[in-house]
Amino acid sequence: MSTPASTTSESQSDEKPVANISLESITEGENSRGIPTTKFLDDIETFANSFSPPASPELLIGAYSDLYSKFKAYEQQLSQKSATFREKLPEIEKSIALVRHLKKKKEDGGSVVTRYNLADTIYAKAEVDCSQGIVNLWLGANVMLEYTYDEALTLLTSKEILAKKEFKEVTEDLTFTRNQIITSEVNISRIYNWDVRRKRANLATRSS
Amino acid sequence: MPEGNGMILAKEEENDAEVRREDQDKINEFGRLNARLYEVRDEISSLKKLLEKIDDASTELMMGNGDRVMLRLGEAMFEATEDEATEFCEAEVERHQETVDRLSEEESEILERQAELKKILYGRFGKSINLEEK
Repeated sequence: MSTPASTTSESQSDEKPVANISLESITEGENSRGIPTTKFLDDIETFANSFSPPASPELLIGAYSDLYSKFKAYEQQLSQKSATFREKLPEIEKSIALVRHLKKKKEDGGSVVTRYNLADTIYAKAEVDCSQGIVNLWLGANVMLEYTYDEALTLLTSKEILAKKEFKEVTEDLTFTRNQIITSEVNISRIYNWDVRRKRANLATRSS
Repeated sequence: MPEGNGMILAKEEENDAEVRREDQDKINEFGRLNARLYEVRDEISSLKKLLEKIDDASTELMMGNGDRVMLRLGEAMFEATEDEATEFCEAEVERHQETVDRLSEEESEILERQAELKKILYGRFGKSINLEEK
């Protein structure tokens, strides 16, 4: 990816070719899941001059702004994913609690009288015979399977572990992306300030 | 171009301290902590609401006359005795209260660390940096 090369600055002639800033030059490596790491600029002057011809501040700011918007968009995606996980996890935990309750009832030997959701606003009374030890789990995609209580618990707990692991990964990625966003913002401010100071210095030397 | 707070500093207020890598790391840490702070605060407030609900339910239970109550687990409701239900409520309250306490602790740790970072960063950059809530 390279930014369009069509900016000119006051001290350069019109035919001088403008530097091509590629994604590699403003990032350094990536994290374990492929998100690029923003390059932290120790010294802006050296960095700008490392391009041939030296990159103008506008070009640099443009490149970093692009990167910044990409990170922002990715952060949005990750936030949504994270919110989905926050909803899913309690549901799995509720199912686990339910199955455990049924299991306990089975051991106690009783049956359970429940009211279940027949339709949106109607609940129907049902007596559940726990001695069967069977529970049906909804697996999604219109599939429902029969399990014993123990099998169900195993399945649900493994689902829970997987969901927690993915949630952790998403959270890590989110933190990482936010870091990159902040670093890019700071880079942009510094480049801008550097440019302001440089122009001021140029003005001072010209008028002296 | 990302929106800053638009503050243009007067010449005397300008700070020439260069941003070093460790400064950048501290700024990143501050941002990270801030994001986590909002999450923690959200969780605490929703847990507190839940605790209130359970509290109300327990009160209703005590006032209740019958000994068959409905306990809701997941999507379905189960009949339970008053004792079972009370037991269940108490266990839930304990569980959630623990989580609330843990989160409140995390919140104060975050605020502490943020205050430290603020001191360091303001010391270094003065007005050139803004670490306040919007």
